[in-house]
Amino acid sequence: MFFHWLEKNPFYFALMISVVISFAGLLEIVPNFAQAARPLSTEKPKTVLELAGKNLYVKDNCIACHSQMIRPFKSETDRYGKYSLSGEYAYDRPFLWGSKRTGPDLHRVGNYRTTDWHENHMRDPKAMVPGSIMPAYKHMFTNVADIESAYAEAVTVKNAFFTPYGPEFKRTRAAWEAHRPKVIADAKKIADDMKDEDVKKAVANGEVPEIVAMIAYLNSLK
Amino acid sequence: MNALTIKALGFAAILIIATIYVVMSMDIDLTDRVNAITMGGAIAIAVITAGVSVKYINQMKTDTATGDLMDDNWDGIGERTNELPSGWAYTFLAVFFWSMWYGLIGYPVDQYSQIGEYNEEVLEHKATYEKKYENASPEVLTSMGKSLYFVQCAPCHGNTGDGLSGKAQDLTKRMSKAQILDVIKNGSNQLKYPMGMMPPGMASGQDAEDIATYIAGGLKGEAPASYAACTSCHGADSKGNAGMSPDLTGYDNTLVSHTLQNGKKGIIGAMPSFKTMITPIQEKALAAYIQSIAQ
Ligand code: HEC
Ligand code: HEC
Ligand code: HEC
Repeated sequence: MFFHWLEKNPFYFALMISVVISFAGLLEIVPNFAQAARPLSTEKPKTVLELAGKNLYVKDNCIACHSQMIRPFKSETDRYGKYSLSGEYAYDRPFLWGSKRTGPDLHRVGNYRTTDWHENHMRDPKAMVPGSIMPAYKHMFTNVADIESAYAEAVTVKNAFFTPYGPEFKRTRAAWEAHRPKVIADAKKIADDMKDEDVKKAVANGEVPEIVAMIAYLNSLK
Repeated sequence: MNALTIKALGFAAILIIATIYVVMSMDIDLTDRVNAITMGGAIAIAVITAGVSVKYINQMKTDTATGDLMDDNWDGIGERTNELPSGWAYTFLAVFFWSMWYGLIGYPVDQYSQIGEYNEEVLEHKATYEKKYENASPEVLTSMGKSLYFVQCAPCHGNTGDGLSGKAQDLTKRMSKAQILDVIKNGSNQLKYPMGMMPPGMASGQDAEDIATYIAGGLKGEAPASYAACTSCHGADSKGNAGMSPDLTGYDNTLVSHTLQNGKKGIIGAMPSFKTMITPIQEKALAAYIQSIAQ
């Protein structure tokens, strides 16, 4: 009965076909996916400062020119280091794989570039790489990074997705005020390796220029 | 030859001419085997399409049905009880057995994985690479070092090795006076030489100035008397006591290797460690290249 009915209703017939095929797909894909998408045991969520940098990476659209995905080809691993694993992106929301390489891949740039290099490069790429077509990001040296939103983001992903931020990450102003000095301390470590006096001064005054957050994020890409 | 065959030949000829015209106007290099085969394939498709169409259209005009009509029919459309064409049947059997083999044995046992292919590629490359460059001549090493340098080091040390006006070590010279003064004052413990750390305050005041000037000047002329405090570790010839401490006269293989393994941080900035990215042969090659630009 059912089959006679089904054969006469192409829409439901198509629907049933997709249910049957998807079921096979689910059996094959989901178990593997569930395993591969787990965070690597060595993977730590980004600090608040690094998160602020990540938001700048999104805001200034670095993804338009840079990928964060080292493919398993010898030519790539020779240049950038080990190929990327899906578990490394588990805490990235959104992940920033990118699909365009006008510039090089950045997924492990923290291994082979340093704070002082980024400082020079972000201010004027051509000073480091003659003929570079990467834009200069001078405004990052004066704009102030939004670390408060980054903290809010950390608390949100902790509550919504169980990202393992510590118990001190709470949804209260007091918790943020208590955490703020940690962010400034992280920023000071970066600023100590930089040369720009205005940036050092700003950090000493408890402000985080965008460039500091940006570099913290780039250094965390390992 | 009937009219249809002639039309079909004409059509095939037009297709062939069009193919050749497009190929010529695209400036395709036909001495390249792949291009030649592709064009041959395009022409073959044109001829076969025309030929097969003609054959079957002609056959449809003259063919009559053979075999008995089956009793069953579908809305008046009947079917005859002919044997399967043998070519079709054998192909079907062959594909059937092949797919059984492929599904049960061929595929699961010998499963493809991208990472597996990558690992094989790396192993294979390593084996041939190590053998090929085991006893590479200095020229080969220098040119290998040069290409590595331009990928991994030039963004910091500059295309000429000058350190981009003070943004990284100037590799055409040994250390500057300011760097040496800093090391004398603060010591250094990051390169992991067998001798361990360089203690801070080995000299001070005018002595330190004199020593720094002497080393930065390329250790020419008379050494200041206070320099004796340094030679105990760095060797009478300042070349580092056969790899026990850094060579102060130039970038010997040991220094380049220790720098690449451990990275370092000085008054100029930080030099990252390349421990996971550079092989021992590549270290030698980079040292050879750096020595060649220092001269
Ligand atoms: C218009 C395209 C473009 C955009 C947008 C862009 N870059 Fe680049 N980037 C490049 C190019 C091209 C290079 C290679 C030349 C160079 O090193 O300057 C590069 C190089 C780099 C490098 C050095 C990588 C290496 O391996 O040497 C870093 C780090 C970097 N970019 C960071 C950023 C960040 C952070 C942003 C966003 C704020 C950004 N880029 C935006 C084009 C771009
Ligand atoms: C106790 C042994 C010892 C003595 C004495 C000594 N050094 Fe060193 N020196 C070392 C070691 C070991 C290193 C490597 C430090 C490291 O691992 O970072 C070094 C590093 C250096 C460097 C830095 C080299 C580089 O490439 O980074 C300089 C410059 C230097 N010494 C100069 C001197 C001078 C000048 C004196 C004399 C005033 C002196 N040293 C005395 C052991 C010594
Ligand atoms: C991110 C930038 C950066 C990269 C990439 C880099 N270096 Fe360096 N390197 C530096 C800086 C900065 C110094 C100087 C550190 C100081 O003394 O302040 C340095 C110093 C050195 C020294 C001198 C060490 C000593 O103790 O005298 C050597 C040799 C060297 N680099 C070789 C290389 C080679 C070879 C490569 C490529 C594989 C490379 N570097 C890549 C930044 C870099």
